[in-house]
Amino acid sequence: MKLGVSLYSYQQSHFFKELTLEDQIREVGENLPGADGIEIVDEMSLRYPDPGEDFVRQWHGWMERYGTVPVTMDVALDVLQFRDHVMSTEEAVERLERDIRLAKRLGFANVRVLSACPFDVMAGALPLAENLDIRLGKEIHQPMRLEGQQVSEIIEHIERTGTKHMGIVPDFGIFGFRPSEVLLAQYERRGAKAEASAASVDLSALLRSGSAPFDLSDIINHTAGNLRVAFKQFINDGTCVPEMKAVFSVLKAFAEERVPRPGELDYIVVAEAIMQSNTSLETMRDLAKHVISCHGKFNYMSEIPGRPGQYQDIAIDYKGAIGALVKGGFDGYINSEYEGQRYFQDRTRAEMMDEVDQVRRHHEMLRRLTGVGIPAEAQ
Amino acid sequence: MFDNYLIRSDSLRNDIVDGEVVGFSMAVRIANYRGVFLSLHTGYYLVVDGVDYPREVQTFEVNGQPPRGFDEIKGCVWEHWDYDDEAILHVAKPGGLALGAHVIQFQQCVIAAYGYLSTDEEWVKAPPKTGTGAGSDKTPQVITYHLELNEGVEA
Repeated sequence: MKLGVSLYSYQQSHFFKELTLEDQIREVGENLPGADGIEIVDEMSLRYPDPGEDFVRQWHGWMERYGTVPVTMDVALDVLQFRDHVMSTEEAVERLERDIRLAKRLGFANVRVLSACPFDVMAGALPLAENLDIRLGKEIHQPMRLEGQQVSEIIEHIERTGTKHMGIVPDFGIFGFRPSEVLLAQYERRGAKAEASAASVDLSALLRSGSAPFDLSDIINHTAGNLRVAFKQFINDGTCVPEMKAVFSVLKAFAEERVPRPGELDYIVVAEAIMQSNTSLETMRDLAKHVISCHGKFNYMSEIPGRPGQYQDIAIDYKGAIGALVKGGFDGYINSEYEGQRYFQDRTRAEMMDEVDQVRRHHEMLRRLTGVGIPAEAQ
Repeated sequence: MFDNYLIRSDSLRNDIVDGEVVGFSMAVRIANYRGVFLSLHTGYYLVVDGVDYPREVQTFEVNGQPPRGFDEIKGCVWEHWDYDDEAILHVAKPGGLALGAHVIQFQQCVIAAYGYLSTDEEWVKAPPKTGTGAGSDKTPQVITYHLELNEGVEA
């Protein structure tokens, strides 16, 4: 196993111009023992779509100077770019091909496409990826699961064609089993009731133990953002697409049982419980050979009570996930992907999170759980 | 995201052209963790002191170009608004705003997406109405800013 950081983790420091791109790379290379992997979101870290040859030279110079390695480049798919029509599959393939060429120029080994990227778009760009020796990985992001068509169609393609350039990028959010405490705290600052947070945590536990009053299999292929928008509409006017109706109706009733006079926000907080994937660690172990790299998603690293200097994310099963990857023989990168800074951004800069500190805490945990970066005599 | 920092707090100005105040402006950043192709940016919900200024009176200055209306921005399908870059939102209003304190309600509409969505065809016909939160996924709520206008500048 190898360790790295997605510079997505430093998005806030980047926005406020507190850390330059070089500062972020230096932090990974110099301050995170055992870590050397760099992952970026192209449209965040670069002048896009062409950062220029001077930048490309500078980039390779930074990799050399800080001892870092370009691992995975994350790309987006804005299908309304042309505005006068929805992007066709062919046009989406062309966009992905341009991103693959950009990744190659910067020395990346892998390109991650979004969980919502259609399989046909990946398959269409695969010949170029093979030609340039870039591996394409589809992000598996909560509330998606490892079980289901979005993963199986990739595995079937690999088995049928023998390609070594396609796979998956599990986001550790799929191993989440309750809403993060910092997400719930932000909802409460916006006016949600404490009972709604408690109901959301309780419902998450019921779903995890398989004793919830509904089955989520109809909705797991939707992104969390899209589910939130759809549930908000259902609360407001009772409408939704048929496949969501059963889950939404029971969810609404559950909220009304547990929260006194629930407002719109309370319903949405309770609905965070259905954003948990509840995917299986056995499946992760079985699929480990198809993993391109991992997003070490986390939202808040808190100190473990009674263990000074050791940290955890109380909402994500890191121990289980890393154990499954190790058992399955995965020897690639886990790249930290800190996202919880977002849940403090309703506040002033002084009250927002320190991304550098959170990623350092995350790496303490990753080293402890993987053994990477820890001298042999200390293990 | 970045709720209180999407408008730079000291950036509210009156725009002056040939000695005449033609409107006002403010410096803005993208409400996302990444940049987007400029065409995806469709305008702002902008209410200043209770007065609504629709996208038709808004122009957008970015990438060293003069201010462009959102009809023109729609055609900028290969130009990118990078994550790093501040842009200037101009609003046509003869006489501008009074010096002193103003209350600004603000929401940016950028139809960036995670792949294909059920709203795609509808948004090709017309972008979502500003202020509804549709097409504003990373900062879907309207944010209220209290800003001071101190001076005018020759635009």
